[in-house]
Amino acid sequence: MSNPIIWTKDLTVSFGAHRVVDNVSIAIDQGVFTTIIGPNGAGKTSLFNLISGLIKPTSGQVFMRGTDITHLSPIERVKMGMGRSFQLTNLFPALTVHENVRLAVQARSDLGLDMWRPFHRFRAINDEVESLLGDVRLTEKRSFLAAHLTHSEQRKLELAMVLSLKPAVLLLDEPTAGMALEDVPAMLELLTTIKNDKQITTVLIEHKMDLVASLSDVVIVLASGAILTKGNPSEVADNALVRTAYLGGGKYGAASA
Amino acid sequence: MLASLQKRLHDTVRQGVFHPQFHFLAYALLGVLLLLPQLTGLVTVGLFTRIFVLAVFGMSYDLLRGYAGIINLGHALFFGGGTYIAGIVFANYGTSPSMLGLAVLGTTAYAMLAALLMGKIAFRGGNVVACAMITLALGEIVRQIAESWRAVTHGADGLTFPIPMMFRDRVALYYYALAFMVIMMLALRQFIMSPTGRVLLAIRENEQRAIFLGYNTASYKLVALQVAGVVCGWSGVMFALTSRFANTELLTVQQTLNALLVTIVGGTGTLYGAIVGTAFVQLAQHTLLGLRGVHPIFERWLLFFGAIYVFVVLFMPTGIVGLYQRFISHWLQPVKPR
Ligand SMILES: Nc1ncnc2c1ncn2[C@@H]1O[C@H](COP(=O)(O)OP(=O)(O)OP(=O)(O)O)[C@@H](O)[C@H]1O
Ligand SMILES: [Mg+2]
Repeated sequence: MSNPIIWTKDLTVSFGAHRVVDNVSIAIDQGVFTTIIGPNGAGKTSLFNLISGLIKPTSGQVFMRGTDITHLSPIERVKMGMGRSFQLTNLFPALTVHENVRLAVQARSDLGLDMWRPFHRFRAINDEVESLLGDVRLTEKRSFLAAHLTHSEQRKLELAMVLSLKPAVLLLDEPTAGMALEDVPAMLELLTTIKNDKQITTVLIEHKMDLVASLSDVVIVLASGAILTKGNPSEVADNALVRTAYLGGGKYGAASA
Repeated sequence: MLASLQKRLHDTVRQGVFHPQFHFLAYALLGVLLLLPQLTGLVTVGLFTRIFVLAVFGMSYDLLRGYAGIINLGHALFFGGGTYIAGIVFANYGTSPSMLGLAVLGTTAYAMLAALLMGKIAFRGGNVVACAMITLALGEIVRQIAESWRAVTHGADGLTFPIPMMFRDRVALYYYALAFMVIMMLALRQFIMSPTGRVLLAIRENEQRAIFLGYNTASYKLVALQVAGVVCGWSGVMFALTSRFANTELLTVQQTLNALLVTIVGGTGTLYGAIVGTAFVQLAQHTLLGLRGVHPIFERWLLFFGAIYVFVVLFMPTGIVGLYQRFISHWLQPVKPR
């Protein structure tokens, strides 16, 4: 019945003596909205880095649609349909909002190394950029430099860029991190739209528990690099182990209170 | 109407995308340059010929540094290589116009091959410092080869050679060089505005993000290096026509640093900044040298020069073009940053 699009087998990475990701075996099922939670320093971002190919594991494997991708480059993984956002905003700061998204659309459009035709002549690409900017409500900011947006707008811009890759798997690392509280509902709305798009399997890292509860089909709890438990949001919330794990980090209690 | 003008200007200022239709200044300047040989003597004509040729060298450097964010400390190997190849062809096979064709073809092949090797080695790890050191070493290797291959290059003595008849007239050469510069600027601009050129900007801005959009950044950097290398090699061939002499100084790091300084003074990531910078540096050098007769302190023009560079780096980090753009964007600002 289960149909994992991504799975990991005994995935481990150590920095020196520090085992940051410790024997993690997870399966992300196609079309299931999965959220990874865990205290600060639990290894959530490191797990994303391993899955997306930013870092290589000390041991263990990563599979995508049945293929062992452990030794593939990040570029090859993107080509296979993996898109990711970063915990710290990762944009082209001195380029306009439009150009940021356009570069993302171009990346998927397979223009090869066209060195002569001016970029603004590609009608289909520009139309797609406009529609994506509309989706994330950034149309009016299209000619702003990315660096001049508010932090919340930058997070939305990055999301638009990753979405324009039309990924089969979307890895989102705390898309609401550092966002002003009043901007969170807009992001939740966006994430809900993504969730409803059945072409995309989303894996989310998130601290805000109300967000986690309303979006997730499955929650995976990571602590000290290892999987503590896995289940639907209410099961996880009731889990005594999770409560103990979060006492150190404190965020779970704070956010759900 | 005004809105569209504002948008154009805005793009110019914000994106390093320049619309020539806006640059009436550039047209006015071109008009003056077309008339210049009628208005001045041969010394000035020679000086400007040199500016045009070196400006292309500067622009090719700016393509790497200002657009792709690549620090190439061996860039002179393309420039000096072009001058040497032209010199060797003219000295050994005569000066018929077809020999110029041979020199250009030879330089193109050399530059493409050199860029391929350089890129394959230097862009491997994606580390900026390693790239700078590797390119520095490769430039030095080429200089060593030119110095020790005496039979062909005449080593440290340098190589004197004749040039085709059509370029011997100083005024004619001036116009050829001007046309060369304008064509190269338009071609490089076209390249930068192409989808591939846009990816170079992305790499400069944030290579990791570019990789995670699926761009194979190493191969884009290689393309940039090939284009810059070939254009730079051609400017070396043009330089051969102006100097009729090649020596190993053309292959030194100093030669590369000249291009770097020209882009700093003029403004990086703009292309025409390299033209402005080259003109500024050459004219300043010429003027300071001319003042030798007034006071012996001007013998030490390098001293003044150092001071000018320090001033520019400290107070005009965006160069002359950046200053100009700040000035106009102050007048017309369609969007206010937050
Ligand atoms: N490249 C690295 N070198 C050394 N240590 C690292 C490296 N990357 C991460 N770590 C360490 O690994 C641990 C886990 O980091 P990671 O960023 O994966 O945690 P996280 O769960 O994403 O935390 P947060 O909720 O704060 O984002 C931390 O202690 C961190 O300091
Ligand atoms: Mg993290």
